[in-house]
Amino acid sequence: MSELPPPNVLPAPNTSTGPTAAPVQLTGMIAVNQASKFFGSVVAVSDVSFAIDGGVTALLGPNGAGKSTLFRMMCGLTPPSRGSIEVLGSDPRTDRVVRGRIALVPQQDALFDHLDALDFVTIAAESHGMPSPREVAEHALEQVELADTGDKRVGEFSKGMRQRVKVATALVNDPEVLILDEPLTGLDPVQRRRMIELFHRLGDDGRCVLVSSHVLDEVARLGSRVLVIAQGRLIAQGDYHDLRSLMDDRPHRIRLGVSDARRFATALVDRGFVSALSLDDGQVVIDTVDIDAVGRHLAPLAVELGVRLTEVNPLDDDLESVFRYLVEGR
Amino acid sequence: MTTAPPTASPAPQRSVPWARATVIVYRVVLHELATRGRIIALSLLALIATLAGFAVGTSDSATLDDGVRLIAGLGMAGVVPVVALVFGGGSIGDLRDDKTLVYLWLRPMDRSPIAVGAALAALTVATPITMIPLVAAAALTGVGGGIVGATVLATAVGLVAYVSLFTMLGAWLKRYIVWGLAYILIWEGFIAQAGAGVARFAIRKYTRSILVEVTGVDLDLADFSLAVGIGVPLVAAVGALAVATWRLAKQDID
Repeated sequence: MSELPPPNVLPAPNTSTGPTAAPVQLTGMIAVNQASKFFGSVVAVSDVSFAIDGGVTALLGPNGAGKSTLFRMMCGLTPPSRGSIEVLGSDPRTDRVVRGRIALVPQQDALFDHLDALDFVTIAAESHGMPSPREVAEHALEQVELADTGDKRVGEFSKGMRQRVKVATALVNDPEVLILDEPLTGLDPVQRRRMIELFHRLGDDGRCVLVSSHVLDEVARLGSRVLVIAQGRLIAQGDYHDLRSLMDDRPHRIRLGVSDARRFATALVDRGFVSALSLDDGQVVIDTVDIDAVGRHLAPLAVELGVRLTEVNPLDDDLESVFRYLVEGR
Repeated sequence: MTTAPPTASPAPQRSVPWARATVIVYRVVLHELATRGRIIALSLLALIATLAGFAVGTSDSATLDDGVRLIAGLGMAGVVPVVALVFGGGSIGDLRDDKTLVYLWLRPMDRSPIAVGAALAALTVATPITMIPLVAAAALTGVGGGIVGATVLATAVGLVAYVSLFTMLGAWLKRYIVWGLAYILIWEGFIAQAGAGVARFAIRKYTRSILVEVTGVDLDLADFSLAVGIGVPLVAAVGALAVATWRLAKQDID
């Protein structure tokens, strides 16, 4: 995977070397070459190119960014309007053998609600032509810790349990490529951690595991390789730590609630922690390029001044602001 | 969570044989279709025909003509197509609407087992709901003259044709119930009554022809031979499932 581009550089690398040069076809377990998808006049995915191989890769993007459409194209559920997408060197839409080597955890919550978990996953194993489908299903359910749900129908499951059932169905065919669309939604923190561990084990085993999320902290734990998509375009790809440091290098805005806002603000300016500052109804809003230093010194400074610190609230640590920075450089 | 995958990696290349795939789809769709509410509602609808048959049978002046017109009017024009629409259309249409079709579509299998398995499942549920009340209706008329056998044959042929047609409709259109009702009520019930040429494209004409051929009763727009009355709907059923298969291969899946 290529390195992270600077914030304002949007085109994915290795796709074209000039206006007259033929695009270079990317190769990998998943190879997306200048893929676009239009629904009427709506552009869901626009000219996206990347290639990924074994290991865990996170696809980061806000809701409506085009993640699910991209995943659907990768699985052959809908063809790209332009460009091409190959998974394991073939098109899953037309190659049924490749469909047996990939797995999708769809974002939608739909399951065959009248079935219990074992029956549901067994059907998935049967429909993949697995030998001993019952045993395979039992093992898959063990992996997501749903082996003992008995006769309870999946329609009666909680959101988190349904998510885990979907992941279990994706494991039955021992897939080489796993595409998981927001698989951590609805899981409690413990299950989320265990699921991420499972993804890492699968990735370490050489499988290509592509996981989407709109939550930055999840992506941090999912893996070091990140694709960032916004408004249908791939706006960054590379190592998560590069992305993180890029984010850390930008100015951060923080709102502070303190008992003596004016005095506290003056002290912050004197110590050179802030690049800009405003006072608003007893609150201090600061801009800083050294978020770590501010984080380390806020509490000691409050103690030193004898003021009460009631709120520390980052105003731009959300994903949208990250995307805004990556796309617009602000 | 355990670590070892159940099979060796990388996975061997697999594809599911046609017959096996059809059985898997059949089982899944059968469970999805056979909901208590649908079965009760459609059974009550079909029961109207049985009650009407009983009413005809209690009349002193009931004739074979009355019995056949009852089966043709209530059974072949109402019960059979409506029940077939609900189950046939829902067989793939419901999976597509609730977005569970992906669990059958994204598998190493052909598309035709999805269409065929779904249609067979719909046929399995629709047959007892229509056949038993209509045969009971025919028997209760007490008019004899082969009406029971004619009802069995016409219902069976009608179910196969309608279920296949509506399975295709469910695979193709989101509002399959609306389009199906439009076909039943407007095309078959109104436009196809305009003349023999148009009626040739209505399944009802063939099921009525079967009733006429077996019982000898004269009905309007029912002048096909028994072979044509049986053969054309079956060919149409195969064609409809072929189109459904093609559609499944071409359409977007949610």
